Amino acid sequence: MPVPILKQGDMLIASMQSNLEDRDLMQLRDEIAEKVGRFKSRGVILDVSILDVLDSFATRTLRTIAETAKLRGAETVIVGIQPDVAVAMVQLGLTLDGIATALDFEEGMELLVATIEGGRLDGS
Amino acid sequence: MSNGPSVSDLERLQLNAHDIERRKAFVDFRPDDVARIAAIKDLVVLNADRYAATFFDHLAAIEEAAGLTRNRSLLEQAKRLKHEHLIAMVQGDYGRDYMEQRVRLGVLYGRAGLDVRVFLGAFHVLMRAVGTDVMKQFAKAPVDGFETFISLKKIGFLDIGLIVDVLIAERERTINLQQDAIRELSTPVLQLRERLLILPIIGVIDTMRAKQLTDGMLRSIRDNRARIVVMDVTGVAAVDSKVANHLIQAVAAARLMGANVIVTGVSADVAQSLVALGVDLTSIRTMNDLQGGLEEAERMLGYRVVHADGAAPAFGRA
Repeated sequence: MPVPILKQGDMLIASMQSNLEDRDLMQLRDEIAEKVGRFKSRGVILDVSILDVLDSFATRTLRTIAETAKLRGAETVIVGIQPDVAVAMVQLGLTLDGIATALDFEEGMELLVATIEGGRLDGS
Repeated sequence: MSNGPSVSDLERLQLNAHDIERRKAFVDFRPDDVARIAAIKDLVVLNADRYAATFFDHLAAIEEAAGLTRNRSLLEQAKRLKHEHLIAMVQGDYGRDYMEQRVRLGVLYGRAGLDVRVFLGAFHVLMRAVGTDVMKQFAKAPVDGFETFISLKKIGFLDIGLIVDVLIAERERTINLQQDAIRELSTPVLQLRERLLILPIIGVIDTMRAKQLTDGMLRSIRDNRARIVVMDVTGVAAVDSKVANHLIQAVAAARLMGANVIVTGVSADVAQSLVALGVDLTSIRTMNDLQGGLEEAERMLGYRVVHADGAAPAFGRA
């Protein structure tokens, strides 16, 4: 099932669904790259709170999305990584260095707004 | 410590039919041993009280056995079980029931804190008393007497094996209980301010504890919506590369959840050993001590602590 992308002001919001497949992720990547340009978005929020696993492909794709969006002029925040998922990712060496993360949607939105108004995200 | 020694103790020792046979094989116990033991059955049954008394008299003189000999109810129980044991020893049937009896006695010794060394000494005295009588009975055929006694001794060693296993199992159980207690006590995650947690780590960090610590921290981050965690390692005496790795992983996992971790209280020794180990700590934000860490955290969260008279600067220990 494709991931719906919502537009809210100058933000794009994508909430992953539970049965996320590789194909959906690739489609998401392409769509966000396209929509960031079309809507002149300044920020992207990728909500993964429903996922109970993030494998290396998913992590790499999320990173690609963030980096692509950056080149198109938008900051990306990944929100809602669950404790167990975080532990598993770290053990696999998937630490998403340089990519901004936040606890949940609300925090991510706050972070993006602060960044867009103030300076830049350094993801640390 | 232990209440009902029974089947569960047997299961912990994995005393199934196969294991019982193996134990007999360990001491080279054969069917002809049963026949030989039958020849001294009456002798041992007749004198069982005296042999048991030898055992306990010996223990009574040993200070290290006070846990057993000065505890009246345990002692009574032990005497009864020991008497049963001596009778059972010459009955020729060494199956599960016999083993269960031994385990029960072993658990009792464990409860009384009887040391393995002390038990072995007393058991030897007991066997010597039996041996002397056996040799008297076989005065005219000492070789037969010796062989008969050796047959009984095989059962004796079978018993020792069991009792020692039980004593060790009891000790391990105590250690495990203590470890659980320490573990539960030692990993609190405290909320200091809105969005600010502190995680004081004290003692030794092993893989198990590091995992628990990480899980506890991540759950607290989610539940308290924390943005910053100050991890204080003042109480950690030694850090090797494995422990450092655990800490780095905990920090990375927290970051994935959108929280920053500030590590404080790295002692001079720990810092030097980490550098010597070549652990890459560039991803970790550190401050000198807990105070520095908290002040840094407050600044990051936008707090400004002002002295009541309004004069003192908020941060920076000038």
